Amino acid sequence: MMRSAILLALGLLSSPAIAGDLVAIRVGRAETVANGTIENAVILVEGSKIVTIGEDLPVERGIPIVDRPDWVVMPGMVNAYSRMGLDSTGSSKPTPDAHASDELYPNERVYNEVIETGVTTLGLYPPGNSIPGQAVAVRPNGATPEEMILADDVYLKVILRANKTSKKQLRDGFAAADKHLEKVAKAKEKWDKEQEKKKKKKKSSKKKDDDEDDKKSEDDDKKKDDKKDEGSDVFTPPEPDAQAKVFLKLREQSLPALVSLAGAAEYLHFFDALGDEEITWNLRLPLPTESDLFYVLNQDDFGVRVKGIGEHEVRVVIEPRTTRHPGTMRERNMPAELAASGAKLVFVPLRDDLTNHKRWLADVAAVVAKGLDRETALRALTLEPAELLGLGERLGSLEQDKDANMVFLDGDPFESSTTIKAVMIEGDVVYGEVNP
Amino acid sequence: MKLSNLMGRVVAASFLALWIPATSQAFVIDDEDDPKDAGEEEVEDEDAESLIAIVGGDVHVGNGEVIRGATILAREGKIEEIGLDVYVPEEAEILDVSGLRVYPGLVAITSAGLVGGNSDFQDTYDPFSSALTLGLGSGITSTGAGSSAVKLKRFDMEDVVIRDKTYLNMRWDGRDPSSKRALREKLEKASAYLRDYREWQEKVKKDKELKEPSKKGIDSSTLAVLRGEVNARFKADDRDDLLGIARLSRKYGFRPTIEGCREGWTVADELGRAGATAILVPRQRRAKDERLVRDGGSSIENAAILHRSGVSVAVRPPRTSIDLGGIVGRDIMHLPIEADFAIRGGLPEQAALEAITIIPARIMGISHRVGSIEVGKDCDVIVTDGDLLHYRTFVQYAIVDGRVVYDKQDELFFAHIRPRPEVEVDAGETTEESAEGSDDDESDESDEESDEDGEDEEEDEDEGDEEDDD
Repeated sequence: MMRSAILLALGLLSSPAIAGDLVAIRVGRAETVANGTIENAVILVEGSKIVTIGEDLPVERGIPIVDRPDWVVMPGMVNAYSRMGLDSTGSSKPTPDAHASDELYPNERVYNEVIETGVTTLGLYPPGNSIPGQAVAVRPNGATPEEMILADDVYLKVILRANKTSKKQLRDGFAAADKHLEKVAKAKEKWDKEQEKKKKKKKSSKKKDDDEDDKKSEDDDKKKDDKKDEGSDVFTPPEPDAQAKVFLKLREQSLPALVSLAGAAEYLHFFDALGDEEITWNLRLPLPTESDLFYVLNQDDFGVRVKGIGEHEVRVVIEPRTTRHPGTMRERNMPAELAASGAKLVFVPLRDDLTNHKRWLADVAAVVAKGLDRETALRALTLEPAELLGLGERLGSLEQDKDANMVFLDGDPFESSTTIKAVMIEGDVVYGEVNP
Repeated sequence: MKLSNLMGRVVAASFLALWIPATSQAFVIDDEDDPKDAGEEEVEDEDAESLIAIVGGDVHVGNGEVIRGATILAREGKIEEIGLDVYVPEEAEILDVSGLRVYPGLVAITSAGLVGGNSDFQDTYDPFSSALTLGLGSGITSTGAGSSAVKLKRFDMEDVVIRDKTYLNMRWDGRDPSSKRALREKLEKASAYLRDYREWQEKVKKDKELKEPSKKGIDSSTLAVLRGEVNARFKADDRDDLLGIARLSRKYGFRPTIEGCREGWTVADELGRAGATAILVPRQRRAKDERLVRDGGSSIENAAILHRSGVSVAVRPPRTSIDLGGIVGRDIMHLPIEADFAIRGGLPEQAALEAITIIPARIMGISHRVGSIEVGKDCDVIVTDGDLLHYRTFVQYAIVDGRVVYDKQDELFFAHIRPRPEVEVDAGETTEESAEGSDDDESDESDEESDEDGEDEEEDEDEGDEEDDD
């Protein structure tokens, strides 16, 4: 709508000097998240990207200006952990090779409604109770699955509970990866022998060199030895099965895990199950009424054996709510405590439904009122979830060259009287009216 | 739910109590400690010896002996020295418990919900649960859970299982003759095998070709019972059943543990001769079967009579979880109170203490590690502000594996009830500052008073000034 409005304006002005669909938006205040607050901000948008943002920037003649001095703009909100619009049911068995991208239903009405709440990016995870599979990052306004998908396989959701089965599932996954590597090593060995036989037949004069190569290749049997490309005999490692592949990716740290834990005890059990494996991980910590997470924020507070959540500086996906000290009515601001310990907050609505998306900002405001840092809260709605989805370079803040995903409000985001006036996704106004 | 109700009440009263110091630390970011460095030191910390000295308490070692004002020195979680003249190395952590009593940590013969799941404790343990904290707060440091013996180890889940398979359930029930027959058969076979095996052991010295007797058809767990490796545990209350068990165990030569044992007092001699151990709920009341002429039903003297006849007595409360069930004092939090019911019936106090410490430890086969304060055993002790068996007594500290895991003043559950006075600052260096530092309520009040006086005077002067101005 906006784009067409601009084009119209351009047409009227008939200014040939301006290439592309440039537009300047002047608002009373911009919460950039990356660079703090800018008063009287001017944001120059070209197509789907932000060209520049700054305070009272002079706008070149001919560029249409949207002037909204009473508005506040913030980056489009990102809900990195959701199942909005998906309705399949998962199994209780691990399905790490499942993809949420396989079950997308574009044009679901709920996506339009989600946009109205200021959410411009969703991270959708597959259903299940153990290791449900890999999440996908989508823009809610696409007409086809291809149009929706921003990035696929953004994280592997892992649910870990304090019981033998759950811990074993994680260990088994890595065992499957080990088994595959063994298989590869065997295949390589066999192939090497065959090569040697061939060489003997050929009576190659440069036998020495090849022997050296053999040693090298034995050191790292995963990699193909490019030097040995003699004719068509290239070693092709056997294809890992789908499950092992996922865990190989985890181990390579090319796929991060989002580990869902119920409490402090599970945090210890997670490390116990993980053993010596090194993976990239973040945490999903559903906050119950009474949370005992404070025990594992920092190692030294209670002398636990592992490094605390804060010391790992991981992202934690949590609801914006306060909890109670176990067994008491004493209120604790667990999001604030997590943030203070060094963890990076990623907020999700209290529940994954439309109602709670609508009150998302208000719920975060309540936690801010009880002591959470305001900037941290804004980050937890935008940039941190974007980072969790691996899209931190592309969206999540109002910065040069980032996607023009913006929410326009008629006041401070954390003020209860504030309403959302318009939402822009990649330059398109997808909700509300921007032109005065 | 009931638990939280209780705690709600407790806490409603404790709103003015001290806030946990450690939790307030959670809000502070320590800039000096580089998290990466901390990670590197992690390994070193574990290597560093943990050394704790529990100083100045009256140590009830568990066998009736009391060492007043003694020191317990524990290294790496094991008790190294107990006595009056113990050298305490400089690096030792010192816990001053002067004026308090030190007892061995209580051993709950059975409990539910204190340590996490029902089995696989290494995988289900919850070292942060409120139930575990409350368990420590009521003095329990190890417990039977499922068929394992588990420690109440807070903040940590390393080596929490002391022993798996602590007992073998055996069924001997008058109403179920087939189970009796089956058990008798198993025992008969196992016993015959043992006889053959011993015979073979003797003969094999001369004739090395001789074949070892076959284990085929022998129940290995029954065999373990006869070899004395595992305890056989029966559930029986009826006099006839108890007699049957006593005769069975004497015939096959093992010492039974009998849970329930309600009518044990009527056949105490038989049970004593069989070397039985009884797990009692001393407050349990049940009228006798009126159709019978003989003695029967429950007796408050049950524990005392059994004890006199040589039966080891362990005590458990009616409810094995933290569950008040509407009546305070029936759950696992009141182990010493339950022992008091046995004392009321005539059980000596020492035997009552043993009934919740060393006897349950022996039943579970973990008495080499817990159940009394002895050199070489695990440093699992509790510090109380009075006689452990008195209803007024609170556990002030619980120490498990040489680590203070419960401090009454640090938890919100009981901190507000008769708060422990702050430890006084060294009297030799008492100055005005340190007196204030000791946080004594009275001195604070007097300070306030004097301040007020000062203000009054100033006000008087002010008024005077005003008058002058006028």
